[in-house]
Amino acid sequence: MNMIRSKSKNELRQTIVTEAVAVTALGSNLEDLWYKLMQKETAIKPIKRFPVDREHYRSRIAAIIDDLRPSQGRSLLIDLLDRLMDQMGPVPADAILVAATLKSGIDNLESECRGKPTGFQDIRLASLADNLGARLGLKGNGTCISASCASSAIALARGAALIESGQAEAVLVCCADIVSEYAFSGFSSLKALAPDPCRPFDRNRQGLSLGEGAAALLLMSNTRAEHEGRARLGTVCGWGITNDANHITAPVRGGAGLARAVNKALTSARKKPDEIAAVCAHGTGTVYNDRMELDAFKQVFHKRRLPIFSVKGAIGHTLGAAGGIETALGLKVLATNTAPPTIGFVNPEDGAQGLVSADQQAIAGDFLLTTNSGFGGINAALVLGR
Amino acid sequence: MKADITGIGWITAAGVGRGRNHHGFALPAGRLPDYTPEKFFTEPYPNLRRMDAYSRLGVTAIALTLEDAGLDTWTEKRDIGMVVATVYGCLGADVDFYNTVIPNHGAQARPAVFSYTSANSFLGEAAIRFGLTGTNYAVAEQHPTGLAGLLAALGHLAAGDDQKIIGGVCDVGCPEIFGWPDKFPPGAVFFMLEPVGTNPRPSFGTLHSTSPGQLLFDGSPLDDLAVLVDQCLSNQAS
Repeated sequence: MNMIRSKSKNELRQTIVTEAVAVTALGSNLEDLWYKLMQKETAIKPIKRFPVDREHYRSRIAAIIDDLRPSQGRSLLIDLLDRLMDQMGPVPADAILVAATLKSGIDNLESECRGKPTGFQDIRLASLADNLGARLGLKGNGTCISASCASSAIALARGAALIESGQAEAVLVCCADIVSEYAFSGFSSLKALAPDPCRPFDRNRQGLSLGEGAAALLLMSNTRAEHEGRARLGTVCGWGITNDANHITAPVRGGAGLARAVNKALTSARKKPDEIAAVCAHGTGTVYNDRMELDAFKQVFHKRRLPIFSVKGAIGHTLGAAGGIETALGLKVLATNTAPPTIGFVNPEDGAQGLVSADQQAIAGDFLLTTNSGFGGINAALVLGR
Repeated sequence: MKADITGIGWITAAGVGRGRNHHGFALPAGRLPDYTPEKFFTEPYPNLRRMDAYSRLGVTAIALTLEDAGLDTWTEKRDIGMVVATVYGCLGADVDFYNTVIPNHGAQARPAVFSYTSANSFLGEAAIRFGLTGTNYAVAEQHPTGLAGLLAALGHLAAGDDQKIIGGVCDVGCPEIFGWPDKFPPGAVFFMLEPVGTNPRPSFGTLHSTSPGQLLFDGSPLDDLAVLVDQCLSNQAS
């Protein structure tokens, strides 16, 4: 049954990340983002993109890219992708495209609902793959994965699986989501938005702050990467995807679903919990998510004290793009042996003491765990290596 | 990478069915039948009324698929995954939700509708209803073949991600507001995939993939979902 994982490790092909680029409200590229993150900056500030000065909105803030502009009736997503792909080096023509988004060009759906026709091309779920496939001249039939806030983590898992199984030599994973009135109103209606910038793993956290961004990661088999002389930024060693099967919008208390995803990822990577140097958590700043994550990590790591961090206090919750951006940052963590500060973290939630820090933390080890969870009870975990 | 197809369930414009009690299948254009989802569930299922049409359709077709595979009853949660291919996903719920945002600038935004504005939300509902804790997500193709869900599901099964997995398609058509011609027939069709020889029920046939985008059914190349169902039903009859 377990056809691939029953092979011995040296028979497996490795999935190498040869390139990683990102655009967020905190930085126009990954280096800029990393620098500002380490400087403890945050991009969360008052929203000007759509009206939020209404008393029913508990929040008026988000991490928005100020000068993102729609052009000729196209979604803001197009400008975001322009900025992202301008940074990207050559993508092999045979690369399989696996895109990921939660809401694609949702701003154009808003326009349509308001009686301003914009066309359908950026609204369809597959539009992200359409756009990227056309830009890059990729030959294959690209796909776009949507799994709430775990979309891009799952896209990376799918990409790595295609390479490990020998079905692909190169996979481009690209993810993007924007801040929209649609998403803001939705999360506001669920009372999930924080009035002040989010405070992951803080005892006084009050909810999440939305953010926008995009990331692209080029995955290659180890043999192909070596043959082409590509950089080796790190590896995607393992993945685990589970469903809580408990509630449609809230995580299961106790974190059993996420713990299962982490254990699956460790099994897939053939790693023991002790080999994980740090955790890039989903860390949204909602009461239930952060509690659930701490409980899940305790089930996996027991009393071990390893650095756990969240970047959402700096860049907001970038929805379907979160896993991709956090993986790009995770590779920086491994490259620098440093976990970034968790912005907004002041008073530790029970169980976060000595694990989460408002300051950067040194890490020791070769593997990083990243996790994301979302609507529909979905959990995804990735094990990244050097 | 091989798997047995051990259950099939569908709701299309031609009717409602599952593999072991039906001998005809079609995936035509047109309106979906006025089916009553509640009658496909043995226990009361109040959540059905809260769901949008896409979610109701998907959850009901998954119920039929699980029943066909003999996996509809459970006492403990199971490591069964689900991957759905979709063209329009939850666009209907998206429009419905945003139409609650427009009046009064979001003051009347309905969280119950927002809950179904992720293309994978209904998989979460199915997971809760049937105790399915495996991989699950929605996938959209640049050039829709309807097979992406099956291909991905097969990949996850082969990678050992899940013990069993459901793959298929679900669409209710494009919301009228977009004025976009419906190029893809509405309907939901799901298949239960299991490691070869592990389900005591007779298999409808074996699905196989050797390269991305390429599916083989009982050794023959496959590029059409409706043809796959026909061949499965033909195997069952013979």
